[in-house]
Amino acid sequence: MKEYVIDAKNMDEKELNRTIKEQAISHDKLIIDNPESKHNICAGLTEDVDIEINGSAGYFVGTMVNGPRIHINGNAGWFAGDNMTEGELVIEGTAGDGAGQGIYGGTVIVKGSTGSRTGEIMKGGTVIIGGNSGFMTGLLMMGGKLIILGDVTDDVGESIMRGSIFVLGNVKSLGKNAVMEECTPEDQKELKEILTEYGFELTDTDYTNFKKIVNIQ
Amino acid sequence: MCGIAGVIYKDKKTHPVGEALTAMLESLQHRGPDSAGYAIYGSLNFPDNYYQLNVEVKRKRGALDNLKSLLTQVSPIFEEQLIESVGDSDVYKCKILLDEYSLLPSFIREIDELENIRVINGSHSFEMIKDTGKVKDIAERFNVQSRMGTHGIGHTRFATESGVDRYHAHPYQSYIIPDITVVHNGQITNYWKIRDPLERKGHTFESFNDTECIVHYMADKLNQGYKLEEALDQAVIDLDGPFSILVGTPNGIGIAKDKLGLRPGVMVETDEIFAIASEEMALHDVIDSNQIEQIAPGETRAYTI
Repeated sequence: MKEYVIDAKNMDEKELNRTIKEQAISHDKLIIDNPESKHNICAGLTEDVDIEINGSAGYFVGTMVNGPRIHINGNAGWFAGDNMTEGELVIEGTAGDGAGQGIYGGTVIVKGSTGSRTGEIMKGGTVIIGGNSGFMTGLLMMGGKLIILGDVTDDVGESIMRGSIFVLGNVKSLGKNAVMEECTPEDQKELKEILTEYGFELTDTDYTNFKKIVNIQ
Repeated sequence: MCGIAGVIYKDKKTHPVGEALTAMLESLQHRGPDSAGYAIYGSLNFPDNYYQLNVEVKRKRGALDNLKSLLTQVSPIFEEQLIESVGDSDVYKCKILLDEYSLLPSFIREIDELENIRVINGSHSFEMIKDTGKVKDIAERFNVQSRMGTHGIGHTRFATESGVDRYHAHPYQSYIIPDITVVHNGQITNYWKIRDPLERKGHTFESFNDTECIVHYMADKLNQGYKLEEALDQAVIDLDGPFSILVGTPNGIGIAKDKLGLRPGVMVETDEIFAIASEEMALHDVIDSNQIEQIAPGETRAYTI
């Protein structure tokens, strides 16, 4: 495996992203040290490459990517994985508002908790939150799967049109056009496949406790 | 955009707050290029009734002499410093003595009537430093790195309303109670609904800037006996629009975020320190911790020493 280490400490955003795009062509894995919560890291990256970010990323990490597998050993700011079409974004820590916003495909995983409007306007793909998610989770959702292992606060699925939200913890309130329906054995089987693939260890009882939120038909 | 930052040390001792806030604001520079400012508490150590005045003085013949002449009619000038700044004016800093706090706001208004003079602020327990330009330049100009304090708040401004000048740089201060300051990221959309009742109570507004409105609102609430946390909770109910507001008082700092959470705010707290900022990168400048908390929509957080 060909690896390349980028020290982002004294780079501005454009220089960092230019370096990532240049090196992604000829390497299998890029390691980014000292990201210092810079914004837009990996924006628009379309190479089939592994990216490891050692530290926290700022806003719009992994925005508009198609293909890379990005792993953040830290936290992320607002709109992590925004508009992703294919690939994987794993955040070991927490994320700010709008994690997985507008994704068309791929998977966004936040191991910790997220802020508000997680998975808003997502059209496809999968967003998994290991902790809690804030206000208006799944706002204007149009497709895909949004899985929350912790609690969600007010107005879950506000104005949801399509797609499914699965919550293991407590749901404080549903938004307009959202309804809670039975989580079928097929749903549970599918959740188990996805969550097991990404290393989440849940009991069989846990899977029976998921709540499924969809749009009113 | 705008960037906000605040830090308070729990041991009540003085720390290099100027250096900490400068590092935080430099990390938030991209959120606001127009101006920057600080309110550093616990830095002056003045005896009762001594005040620091920061005055903008245009480089016009006689302007500074007229100012000093008026000052000396009321108080001896104990310490003074003229700091060269940008544009057509400099900043004059001095220490004066008044009989009581209630004389400070009226004296500031009297000074403001002088030609080519504008008071930036007057304070007893904190030092206000604000100017147009970049954080790094302002920090050097005013030697902010050397300022010790117990806590402070700071701001980088991306002007979305009002002029870009020294006065409209944050923090804003109210004189309804001593030494309260506010920095703010956002807009208040029910401005007149907040301002009207305050004016009817007799509070004076100097500008049409919404941050000035917030600082008078907060000062009025604290003056009514609200605790800082209670005043922040009430602000979330009363104020409309997208905002993260950060308040500084002589013994604490606190943040309130609008009901829809449309402006950012993150924080981190340890046994030693409580810090708030618009973005995580600024928190890493003062605390080596990944335990970052997202401040939720409508949430308030405060710490007092």
